[in-house]
Amino acid sequence: MSPLLHHLLEEAAQRDPSAVAIRCNGESLTYGELARRAYGLAHHLVDGGLERGERVAVLLRKGFEVPAAFYGVFAAGGALVPIDPRSPAEQVIRILRATGARRLITEPAKAAVARQVVEACPELREVLGLDSAALAGEESEKHLNANANANANVTGRPWSSILEAATERRPPVEVLELDTSYVLHTSGSTGIPKLIRHTHHSAMSFVEWAAAEYGLTPADRLSNHSSHHTCFATFDYYAAARAGAATVLLTPAVMMMPASLSALLEKEKVSVWYSVPTALVQLSLRGEMQDRDLSALRWVLFAGETFPQKHLQRLRQQLPGARFSHVYGSTEANVCTYYHLPENPVPDGPLPIGKACPNSSTLVVDENLQPVPPGGSGELLVRGSTVMSGYWDEPERNRQALIRRPAGGGFDQVYYRTGDQVRTLENGDLTFVARTDFQIKVRGFRVELGEVETALLALDEVAEACAFAVPDSEGSSSLRAAIVPSPGADPDPRDVLRGLREHLPIHAIPAEVAVLQAFPRTPTNKVDRKALQAKAQTQAQAKVQA
Amino acid sequence: MQQQAPSPELSSIEARLLELIQRERMSLVDTVHRHDDLLSGEVLDSVAVLRLATCVEEEFNITVGPADFVVENFQNLEILAQYIQRSMAS
Repeated sequence: MSPLLHHLLEEAAQRDPSAVAIRCNGESLTYGELARRAYGLAHHLVDGGLERGERVAVLLRKGFEVPAAFYGVFAAGGALVPIDPRSPAEQVIRILRATGARRLITEPAKAAVARQVVEACPELREVLGLDSAALAGEESEKHLNANANANANVTGRPWSSILEAATERRPPVEVLELDTSYVLHTSGSTGIPKLIRHTHHSAMSFVEWAAAEYGLTPADRLSNHSSHHTCFATFDYYAAARAGAATVLLTPAVMMMPASLSALLEKEKVSVWYSVPTALVQLSLRGEMQDRDLSALRWVLFAGETFPQKHLQRLRQQLPGARFSHVYGSTEANVCTYYHLPENPVPDGPLPIGKACPNSSTLVVDENLQPVPPGGSGELLVRGSTVMSGYWDEPERNRQALIRRPAGGGFDQVYYRTGDQVRTLENGDLTFVARTDFQIKVRGFRVELGEVETALLALDEVAEACAFAVPDSEGSSSLRAAIVPSPGADPDPRDVLRGLREHLPIHAIPAEVAVLQAFPRTPTNKVDRKALQAKAQTQAQAKVQA
Repeated sequence: MQQQAPSPELSSIEARLLELIQRERMSLVDTVHRHDDLLSGEVLDSVAVLRLATCVEEEFNITVGPADFVVENFQNLEILAQYIQRSMAS
């Protein structure tokens, strides 16, 4: 077993340097060339005095530079901090300050953001991917002046010079498997994101399991749907490298257009897919699937939110050759349980999240953290080698999220509190019930937002649904929902609410349903519940004021 | 290579598109140029792209079917205007 993430690249490049590592916009990057670029960058970082475990931030759009930067940082003994490329400058600055990163790897398209970062972060020493002129912003007198005052010590270096230094040999640096591999940030358009520290060990433990469980081989092509700052990328990039398989980067343009996406999947012969269900729902509804040959697709993995049964059934009919796997996890724990859908029929009711992966163990507990008997429901705790080491520099949050339980012999075991409510089934499988914080109280009644969404989705005219609470002026909450209609449907919100009466108790009927063309999305493409909530709240306040 | 000036009809479609994007406040940036990549994720978000398709249907009285809702037709203002022109003619 390779204990370190950059060993995956090294081994793949040694096995077959001409094997394709990355496909992007119809072009290929081989493992041999990727290794040369990554090592060139690693040498530059080491020669520039990068300390072991020093954080290096990466702000790049999807492209060949991304894996070169990731492996380059690992091979130099650094800790990678991948940042959502859509982040505004303020968010990038927050993450750099919180992690203490002093180096930023970026690209000319991000020059404006990089300049603001340089101004705001006096600790910053180097920006890679931009030359000094772009960094100084010669076209902008204002930035030039501000830079001169704020941070004249930052040096720039363009990608071309990194590529010129490409080399076959990685620098001889010591890295332990317990060293930080990366610090991931959660989504969130406002406030300070959670910063989640993984080691090479916790990442590799997931990678090894995933590559084995899904039988990845050099012939596979894994799609990379999610942004590379998310935990989904751990599978897309590193599990692919473990097998010497290729990763096909899906650009934002393709992901916005389901028919373009399905055409690309066909052309690239993608064989393994991993995303949130939403992307698959879009593909199934608007992907012109009847005109595509997606017979190369053999595994479809999904996670992160509920896959509405009606969409899942249709997709399975559209992809008769694919097996489907419902995996459960979080950025904090990687994947910790999995459930392969049986051939036929899929059981009614909520889809199980299955059993713990062999490198994890699960425990379902009540409010007092006591185990619940089989058949009961409670909060899911996870321990195992894929769990994060903690939130970066947040001892209090770590005390709450990572709890110790006696394990006999005078030893404790550390469990991660997932904050997810699950139920244990008789056969030992788990089903997801709700986020603990997705239970709200309306006029004293407890309402599961997931149940409201399921009832909405049961209506033919509803393609997507999201329920959420909006605080009211009386200090309580009112229940709201938003839907996206099925193609061709134009439902009246009043009819939607009437339709719910058959399925839900009166207190679980939303006060209002908004009909939208599409939902706002987080970077992994989950429904951005907070954005919907904020919008509804603003509208509610406007009404009160009017 | 010197670029040909857009035909008057195309440029008027482009102008209406630009006005539409501004009127509906779809854009994440202050100004959209005719060759800016509308699908980079940095000019329009995925919600705005869907809204753009619906607004185009209403504004130009055409139908954007699922098979037409592809990168090749929506990449930038010029390409989108050409698509609209073809759809209006057919």
